Order: sequence, then structure tokens, then C-alpha cells
Amino acid sequence: MNDAHEQDLPSPRRRDALKLLSCGFGYLALRSLLAQSAMAQQPEAGPLDPKQPHFPPRAKRVIYLSMAGAPSHVDTFDYKPELAAHDGQSVAGKYRAGAVLMASPWKFAQHGKGGLWISELFPELAKQADRLCLLRGMQTDVPAHPQAVLMQHTGSFQFVRPSLGAWTLYGLGTVNQNLPGFVTIDPPSGTGGAQNYGSAFLPATFQGLRIGSGRGGGRARRDTEEEAVANIHNERLSTDAQRKQLDLLQSLNREHARREHDSDEVEGVIQSYELAFRMQAELPQLLDLSKEKPATLEAYGIGGEGTDKFGRQCLMARHLAEAGVRFIEVTHGGWDQHRNLREDLPRQCKEIDKPIAALLADLDQRGMLKDTLVVWGGEFGRTPYAQNGDGRDHNNKGFTTWMAGGGVKGGFSYGATDENGIEAIEGKMKIPDWHATILYLLGLDHERLTFNYAGRDFRLTNVSGEVAKEILA
Amino acid sequence: MKRITLSLSVLFALALAPTALSQERDRAEAWKKLLERLDKDADGKISTAELQDAPKFLARLDRNGDGLIEESEFMSAPGRRGKPAPKKPASAAPPAMSAPVELTPETSAFFESKIRPLLDRSCYQCHSEHSEKLKGGLRLDSRESVLAGGASGPAAAPGDVEGSLLVRAVRYTDDDLQMPPKKQLSPDELHDLEHWVELGLPWPASAASSAETTASTSALPGQREIDWDKARAFWAFRPPQHASAPATKDKTWAFGEIDRFLLAGMEQLGAKPVGDADRAAWLRRVTLDLTGLPPTPEELAGFDKDRSEGSYAAVVDRLLASPAFGERWGRHWLDVARYAESSGKDSNIVYPQAWRYRDWVIAAFNDDMPYDRFLKEQLAGDLLPSSSEDERAQHTIATGYLALGAKSHNTRDKRQFAYDLADEQIDAVSQGMLGLTVSCARCHDHKFDPIPTTDYYALAGIFLSTDTRYGTLRGPGNTNPSSLIGLPAAAHVPDGPQMDSATRALLERAREVIERQAESGKKGDPQTKLKERLAEEQRGILDDLLARFDESGHALPANRQAMGALEGRAHDALVLERGELDKARAAVPRGFLTVIGDLEAPPIGKESGRLELADWIASPQNPLTARVWANRIWLHLFGKGLVRTTDNFGASGALPSNQALLDWLATELVGQGWSTKQLVREIVLSHAYRLAAHDESAGRTADPENLTLWRMPERRLEAEAIRDAMLAAAGTLERTPPVGSPVGTLEGATRREELLAPILKDRPVRSVYLPILRDRLPGALEVFDAAEPSFVTGDRDETNVATQALYLMNDEDVLRASDAFAARVLASPGDEDAHIEQAFLLALGRKPDGTELAAVRRFLHEFKPGAPQGKADAKPDPRNDRGRRGRRRDTAEAEPSSAAVDPKTQAWSAFVQTLFGCAEFRYQS
Repeated sequence: MNDAHEQDLPSPRRRDALKLLSCGFGYLALRSLLAQSAMAQQPEAGPLDPKQPHFPPRAKRVIYLSMAGAPSHVDTFDYKPELAAHDGQSVAGKYRAGAVLMASPWKFAQHGKGGLWISELFPELAKQADRLCLLRGMQTDVPAHPQAVLMQHTGSFQFVRPSLGAWTLYGLGTVNQNLPGFVTIDPPSGTGGAQNYGSAFLPATFQGLRIGSGRGGGRARRDTEEEAVANIHNERLSTDAQRKQLDLLQSLNREHARREHDSDEVEGVIQSYELAFRMQAELPQLLDLSKEKPATLEAYGIGGEGTDKFGRQCLMARHLAEAGVRFIEVTHGGWDQHRNLREDLPRQCKEIDKPIAALLADLDQRGMLKDTLVVWGGEFGRTPYAQNGDGRDHNNKGFTTWMAGGGVKGGFSYGATDENGIEAIEGKMKIPDWHATILYLLGLDHERLTFNYAGRDFRLTNVSGEVAKEILA
Repeated sequence: MKRITLSLSVLFALALAPTALSQERDRAEAWKKLLERLDKDADGKISTAELQDAPKFLARLDRNGDGLIEESEFMSAPGRRGKPAPKKPASAAPPAMSAPVELTPETSAFFESKIRPLLDRSCYQCHSEHSEKLKGGLRLDSRESVLAGGASGPAAAPGDVEGSLLVRAVRYTDDDLQMPPKKQLSPDELHDLEHWVELGLPWPASAASSAETTASTSALPGQREIDWDKARAFWAFRPPQHASAPATKDKTWAFGEIDRFLLAGMEQLGAKPVGDADRAAWLRRVTLDLTGLPPTPEELAGFDKDRSEGSYAAVVDRLLASPAFGERWGRHWLDVARYAESSGKDSNIVYPQAWRYRDWVIAAFNDDMPYDRFLKEQLAGDLLPSSSEDERAQHTIATGYLALGAKSHNTRDKRQFAYDLADEQIDAVSQGMLGLTVSCARCHDHKFDPIPTTDYYALAGIFLSTDTRYGTLRGPGNTNPSSLIGLPAAAHVPDGPQMDSATRALLERAREVIERQAESGKKGDPQTKLKERLAEEQRGILDDLLARFDESGHALPANRQAMGALEGRAHDALVLERGELDKARAAVPRGFLTVIGDLEAPPIGKESGRLELADWIASPQNPLTARVWANRIWLHLFGKGLVRTTDNFGASGALPSNQALLDWLATELVGQGWSTKQLVREIVLSHAYRLAAHDESAGRTADPENLTLWRMPERRLEAEAIRDAMLAAAGTLERTPPVGSPVGTLEGATRREELLAPILKDRPVRSVYLPILRDRLPGALEVFDAAEPSFVTGDRDETNVATQALYLMNDEDVLRASDAFAARVLASPGDEDAHIEQAFLLALGRKPDGTELAAVRRFLHEFKPGAPQGKADAKPDPRNDRGRRGRRRDTAEAEPSSAAVDPKTQAWSAFVQTLFGCAEFRYQS
């Protein structure tokens, strides 16, 4: 087009990061500068553009329902009849002093054709049993929240590493360039905070966009759609005028980038504006639930007591998935039942039961469940032995997560804990295995999805990780 | 209060119920409840002070009159009806009165071979210090405890076989006293036991004491053996060495010792330093780093003119002397001190006097208070000598550090609250001052570092012996109120902030409403009673608040109170197995971290030990303290610490990238009288600090991560600096510090949005003075990764995301600042080009180049605002139209920003906004 701009193209002297990408970041901004109207042309090749996976994917996107605080598996998805028989028995010799087994206060029943055992705490979800693939042999390294949450999200608790969502985006790009490829709804501000959706050494553009207050699934308050993304409107300028303003801004940025010899940070800023501008057009509509049918709202539990907040978030997640967001995470907090298990756990479960059931049915009805991987799980599980009389302690040795849709077997259970549910003994899945499996379902080989940083090829699973092929549909 | 009285009466009735084994459980349960309610310092006893809120007659339980009600006193309290407890109550037969028995080798051998194993095998599950649940208040793990007995009286009388309860119990002759309950002893065992009583209960002293000494360690399962020599060999626990820098090949580059250390590192990796930044870039860098503000055009011009060798040092000295230095560096410490003006967690109760601590920190940095002194005052200011009321007041305010952590004010169990408070303090102190994560050792020995649980509880004892005064009043969501500390009358401290007239009106209206509500309803009705109690609490809160301000909203002398710490009742903490209150084990003596040793700190005496702890932490011999601080200083000047994990110098943290340099800095800091300003000065006058940020030279391949600092890393401005720099460029930044904080005009839980709105309204003060409520950070700060105030934050996140772009594109505060900036520029002398130049100078510290100038001109001429983007796209949920956290909240009261702005100013405003938005504004290179 214009020769004068040719020299502004990303120079060949870029850090290794950019070489891996089909084109430098500045290109996107440049394109929009050249375009008469920003929206007239879709960018052709940016870091977020869809990329070919390593092999045919079973899932195209992920909705990750993160249960912060660690739900008790023996009261929800890991049926342990023997635990009931052993109620009151001491396991002090093997575990901590004074450990006395506590039977689950809730009844379990088999559901669906697959006959999955699910506790009565999930009556609605139980109806979707044939979509669930329970992973009952989960293990993680450390039974402490911050470490385990980071482990679950980034594969490391000692080092700052890119998050699962960032790796996914890096590997696959995203299909809708007007939206962030990775959105996290209401993530906790503690337990690693932004690291859990951060990009670490991956380019900043792969970082997750936080929607909501960021107080981590607090149950008391929810954000309205209007508040969910701050400053999504400009009160003064027309879209055209703001585009012109942005063009000036980006030209300043490019001048600066040139002077600074293509700094990654400046490229990141340029990217963030382009994305912000496109988001303004599209995101508010996606988060707006007012056009949904009353029946849909009802199904998700929106307006219902306790279920309203998470119901909204699940429905927003569906909207985002439908619009082409690659990785969506929704956090629900408050699962840390050291005490008051009998009172708190039913309430916790009720808050998510109906919304998740509705999400699965809704995705299925739209033909999206087959290529949407829904993942549910906390950072670890809880001890079958009691704590404070009516509570359960942290347990990293055995717990349950589940997956649904996106190429996993439904009505299926994989892995097992011992008779009391304390330790995984079969089909053990450590976090790197879990990560490797999720990536596999997305068509990515966890050993080949690498990023060279500081002279080393890093991967999400570090040096381990085995795909649980048994769960593939 | 009424509720408590009632419940305590019930407990008291239980305490006086007839003592019988069947009642023991009830009593034990009652005792537990009593502790929950009253035992604020969590020492397992109830002191007279703790009885303040309780009925007077409870004091009768303290039968030995030592001011403490102990479990044994409670368990053995005489019944109101029925028979008195069998035999004599424990307190009437103090163990010391029983004559010791003579030990012979034979009796000792008999005890060790027969009796100890028997007790261990058959009794200790329920009757020892380590029992999961101590039954009947009886311990059988020392001669004294056998003699003292339990709820049913002494277990045995020396020589009196038939009169000993122990013998009766094991014989299974009584129906209600059969021990061990599940399996009777064998005849041989029975015989041995009778023989032992007959002998007078010989108990070899060594065995007794060995049981004592092992108590602290064997009490905890899974305790690992720590090889202390090996542990102490870890780099961070060895004293730092003040060694000179190694020789370098290049003899001319280094200005001083710091540069020589860095250069040696570069040469080792084959990296070479890049060239120097230009003078304007250096001035912007150093001005932002030292004051958090950009240099003014006048300062830029002055520095450009003065090319003398001393010009750099002159700038640094000017900046160090500026009050803005304290505002910038004080904020760095406030991150570490997890400073906030509310409790966070469940109820988020406001801390209306927290700002006094904030101001103290800022002043301490401006005064260059020696860092060791700085730490000591925060930990134990109340225990330091003071020569004036002013000093006394400042010492008190400094201890606010201990009081302002996040707290769950609604915790019902007082002991839980006490332990959690101590834990929070340990966490803040250990991470913040020592770079260690000691809190990990609350439930188990530290997984990575040589910090056993006993060390944790040694520290916990110090904090449990401290009376932490965080303020707040009893009310909704707050069952753990505390008073504040009155400041000396003659001290020169501000009375407090001005109460907003709207706030005052709201408070008075609220009071009337409460009054009316309380009056409605039938007398004596439980509903009414509850209402009355709630009303009384709320009235209490409102009255307290209104009493501290006069009619026109001026703070009164009654408001001169501070959060802080005082001495509590000194006692050792009980180790809690897995951190659980129900699993209290042996007490451990108050003390410090074993791996570091006692240094030269005086031993802890009869006081809490806080002063000794302060001495121990602020000791030049402490291998961590100076290193951790020097590392933090380095971080704030080079973007990364030499130890990248600034709050964790332990085994799971990072190793120093240049330990020799870190040690040199730490020892230099101590050698210069712990002067922060001196060390900052030395660093910013180094050659390394003067380098360009350009990403070229040999370093690129030799050291791509720039670990050796062959170039200046590109750093994003902190949230505060971004906001302050915008307001400074706009010319609207109020440089005079405000008096107090608007939060100072609040009290109670942060639930009332109409009360919060005027508090959270954006004010053009420096960002460090904005209200910092937990979970409600000002939007401008939150979006740019301000420290999360519930945690110790040494090193903030530095994200680069679309939400920041949205903020800079659309936020009301940014638009208003742009308007002011545009008006300021247009009012300056000169033509359009001069105005553009002035705008660049004010925002970026440089003039535009030709391309930029042309682009801006074109933009200004072509600009048409057009019709604003409607909000038609988004239909807010009508139920939530009043945004709680939305972009509107900070500016709810602000006038519409652009209504009256003419098209020219609008175009200029849109232009200067791009200067705020551009990467160069946000990054310093």
C-alpha cells in the first residue's frame, strides 16, 4: 500500500518469541492504521489468529468451572460405601493423629445409563450423568490453597508460569478477533491472583481478560453486566472519532517502538488497544442477558435464590463460547469446609447444581457440547476423616474432577481412590496428566506445545504428563 | 452483651452442677464453650481481664485467687447440689505438698520396666498431655499430675493402696469407675500398679523431665528432624559478607563498587553494557523512581543547561529532599505492610484511624529514619523510651503496623480470632521483614525451610501476649471489637479529616431511624429484644462516630486515637496440632527462629517478648533483615530484585542473581546507619542506573534475560505513578497532603453504599492518599495492578491488558484529566506547535519529533467528535442500575465532564488523552 509504512513493519531483529508467531504484533495495529475503517477488514495474521493444532481436535474450546477452596469428593462424586461402614474409625496410624473417618452425611444413587454414583447434593446435575466423565483418581502436590490453585492453573507453584488458558491460546489462537481469546469470570484475587490467568513469559496478548470484581466467587454480591467490564463505553466520541483518536495513539506507539527497537512492552500496549476497541463493539452484547428467554433464565437459576450469580456467569460463559472465545473460566468460591460441612456444602452445591446442569443441556441443544470441553474441579479434595467434628481437611492425595462434552466418554468414571476415599489408587491423574489430557482433547501434544524462553523450551507439563486415553470417546 | 450474659449463666450453672463422671463431658464441653467466648489471648485460661464482659460471679471460679481460671479449677468446682467431689478438690491438695518419695535404683528400674510401659499402653490415650481428648481432666504423665488428679480428685495417694482412686478404677469394683474402659488390666499389671502406689509412687526425675522436654517435639506427628548445621549453611541464613567487587577487565566503565559487581557479572557471561540513556531520559527515570512524578518542563530545562559533573548528584539530592520521596517510597512499604483502611474478609469493617500509620510511614521515609529503627518502632514502639509526647504518639502510631492486617471480625471463637490475628502478624512480619514464609509452619513443619512448628508457636506466643488494638465497635458483622489507643493530649498530631456534610446528614438521619425502630414493638417480646440490641449496637457506632466530629464536620480531639499494640498478659502459646484449636499441645517458650539463633537479642523475660523480637529482627547480625530491605530497594530501582522472590528468601524462593552484590548492598546499608536514602543515592548514581534501555549489544545473546543488567530494563509505572503523572500533567494534582483519610469519617461495616460514595469519590490528591478499603480499591489503582492489601506484596504484577486500554480510553477520571490538561496547554503562551510541544514536554518529558508533530496537527484539524457512542448496546439490569463497583462509583458526584467544552478544547482533549494512553507515558526506559 503505502511505501512510507513499509519500514514500520516489524523488523527482523525480534526476540525469539515473535519468530514463533506468524507475524509480529505491530502488524495488526499497522493494518488498522492503513484501513480507512478499522472494522472494514479483518486482520489476516496475528498472534491470536486460529492456528492448526497438532492433530485433529476433539474439542475446540474449554469452559473451565473452577471450584475454589476444594470441594469434598466423598460427599459429591466419589461414592464410598465402605466409608459409611467405617464411620468413627480411627485412621490415625496412617494419617494425622486423631484422624477419625466420617461417613458422608448424604445419600448416593446411581444415575443415567452409565450408572454413575452421584450424591443427592446434585439432583439436577445427576440428570446429566450420562454426559459426565468423572476423574476420581486425581492428585496434586501440595495440600495448601495458593500452591494448589497455581498448580492447577499454571502447572507450577514455585515459579511464575503461563496459565492453562494462555497456553491454549498460544497453541490455538482464537476465532473471534473482536474478543479476547481467554476470559476469566470472577477469578479470586488471592491464591496467586493474576498469575492464574497470566501469560508469564508468553506474550501478554495471551493473558486472560478478567471480567467481574475479581473477588473470587464471593457469594454475597454479583456484578451486573454493566459493571462486569469497566469502561466498555466512551461517553463522548463516536466510534469513528474514537478510531481516529486511536490511530493517533497507535502512531505515537509505533514511533516509540521504533525508537526503542521493538520493545515487547510497546507491542503489548498496541495490541491491548486494538483488542479493547474491538471488544467495545462486541462484548457488551454478549454479557447482556436481557434478551434471553425467561425459560432460559429460569433454567440457569437466574433470579433464583443462591443460583442467580453462578447462573448468570454460566450463561455468560455460553454466550462467550458461542461467540468464539477459546478458553472461558468461571470461578465459584467457598468450598473450604473445614467446619460446618453439613450446613455449608449443601448450599455450595445448590448454587452450582442447576446452573451447570442447564449449561450442559444448553450446549448440547445448540450442538456445541460435542466440541466444547467442560471441566469441573477444585484444587484438591478433602479428607474422608473429620475435622472440627463437622468438617473435612485438605486432601491432595485423592480427589475428583470431571469433564463433559468435547470428546470425553459420558456416563463414565475413570480412576479410583481407596476404600475410604483418602488416596488415589487407580487411574491416578496428577495435574500434569490432567493438563496433558485437556491439551490432547484440544488437539495439542503437550510435549510439542513449547515456548523457548531464557534458552529453554518450556511446556505446561514441564517434564511429565500422560494423556488419559481411557477417557476419550 | 445481654446474649452473652445469658449464655454464660448457663455455663456457670453447668459448672456448679454435681460433679460425677457422667457430668464430666458436659463440664468439659462447658469449659470449651467458656474458652471460646472469653479466652481472648487463647492461653487456655481465663484471666480477670477477660472476665470483663462476663457476669461477676464467674470470678468465684478462680479459687486459688491467682487471677486466672484454669481448667482444673473449673472442672473441680464444687457442685451446687449433691455431694461434694470425692476426696479433696485438686486445688486443696497442691501437688507440692506431697512429700517426694525416695528413689532407689530398684524403684526406678521397677517404674521404667513395669509402670511406665503400663501407663503408656493403657492410660495415655486419654490421660496424658498428648491425648487427643483429655478425659476427666486427669493426666497420668507425671507424679505431680497423678497427685493433682482430675475431676474426681487425686488419682492416687502415696502408700494408700485402698484409698487410691486409680486402684479402685483398675480393679473394676465400682460400676461407674472402671478403667481402662475397654479392657481390664491383667492381674499382673494390677499387682504392679498396686505395688507402685504402695511404694509411694516413685517417678524417676530424669524420666519426668525427659517427658517434659520431648513434649514440644514429640507432640507433633510427622515432625522431621532438622539438621541445623546443614540448614544454617543455606545462603540466606549465613551472614552477608562485605567483600570488594572482583576485578574486571574493563577498568573504565564502573563509577563505583556497585558497577564493578555488575560488570564482573556481565564479563562472566560475555555480555557488555549498552550506552547511556540520554540526559532527559535519565532525569525522567530518576524523578519517577524517587518521587513517583514526572519531571516538570522547568526541571528538564534546568538539567539540560547544567552539564557539570555534579549535576546528576544535585538532582538526586534535590529529589531525596522532596516530600514526594516519602510519598513514593512510603507506598512501597505500605505494600509490604499490607496497609488498608478496612478489615477485608467477611465483614470488611472500616479502620478509621489507619491513615495515621500511613502518614507515619511517609514521614519516616522523608526523615530517612534508620531502617532498623523504622522496624523497631513498628514492632514495639510502645515499649521504646520516648522523650516527648510527640515521640510517644509517633511510637504508638507506628505499632499500627501490627493492627491493620485483614481480619475476620465475625469469628465467634475468641481463641480462633486470637490465633488468626497472631498468624496474620507472623505472616506480615516474616514475609515483610525477613523474607520468610513462617506462617507455613502453623499446621506442620515448614515444607521447604528449616522452620519447625515449635518455632511458629514460639513467635505466636509473643503476639498472643500482645494486646492488639485495631479499634472497631461491636455491631453487625463484628463480634470482635477492640478499643483504640488514645494519643497523648499534648502531642502534635492532627485531629482528623473533615467530615463531609452529606455524610454527617446521613449519619444523623440514620440515628433517627434507629431510634424510631427501637421504639416500635412490644416490650419483652423476643423480636423486640433483638431489635433493641441491634439498635443499641448501631446507636453505639453512630454516637461514637458523631462524638468525634463537631457540627460542621471538624474532627474533635476525641478523634486523636490510633491503632496499635500494647503489652498483653505475657504467656507462652500452646502448640496447636495441625493448627486446630481442639488439639492444643504443650506450650512452647516464646522465642525466635531457631535457624537464625538468638543473635545478641536479650532473652525474653516477663514481658511479651515483642521488644526482644524487634531487637532480634533489626539486628545487624540478622542475616535476612538488611538483605531483604536492600533487595527491595534494588527492586524499586531496577524493576526486579536481585532475589526475584522478594518476600521469600527461603529454599522455595529464587537464589540471588548476584549474591556478592546483594551482600555488599546489605552490609553497606547497615554500615551507613541503615540509611535508605544513602543506599538509594548510591544506586541511582551508578553507571548501571544510567544505561539506556535499548535492546542491543552483546548482552542480547549472552544474557537474554538481562540478569546481569547490561541494560536498564523497561519498567511500567506503578498504578499510583500513572494516575499522579496524569494529574501532574493536567496541572490539577493537589500536592499538599490531605489531613487524614475520608475513611476516618466512617465506622462499622462497609455496606452502606450511600455512605461509601462520598468517601470513594475521586479527589485530586496523590494516589497514596486515596482511601484503601480492602476489596474496594480505587478503580484507577486496581486496573494497573496495585497491591492487593490483604497480602504482603513486595513485587507487584505488571500486566498489560485490554482493560487498561479501556480505562485510558473511556474512564471518566481520565477524560476529566484530559480536559484539564488541554485547557492548561491552550492557556500557555505560543502558537499551536508550541502548545503541542508543551503537551509532549509535560506528559513525556520530551519534545515531539517531526512525524509526531505532523500527525498531531492533522488530527487536530480533522477531528470531529461525532455523536457519542450510545449505551444502547448494553441494557443494564434495572435491579442493579446503581452501580456498586462500576466505573461510575468513584465519580458519582462529579459534574458531567464534557457538557460545556467547546469543539477546539474537545479536539485538544482527545489529543492529550493519547499522550496519557501511549506506551511511552506508562513505561520508563
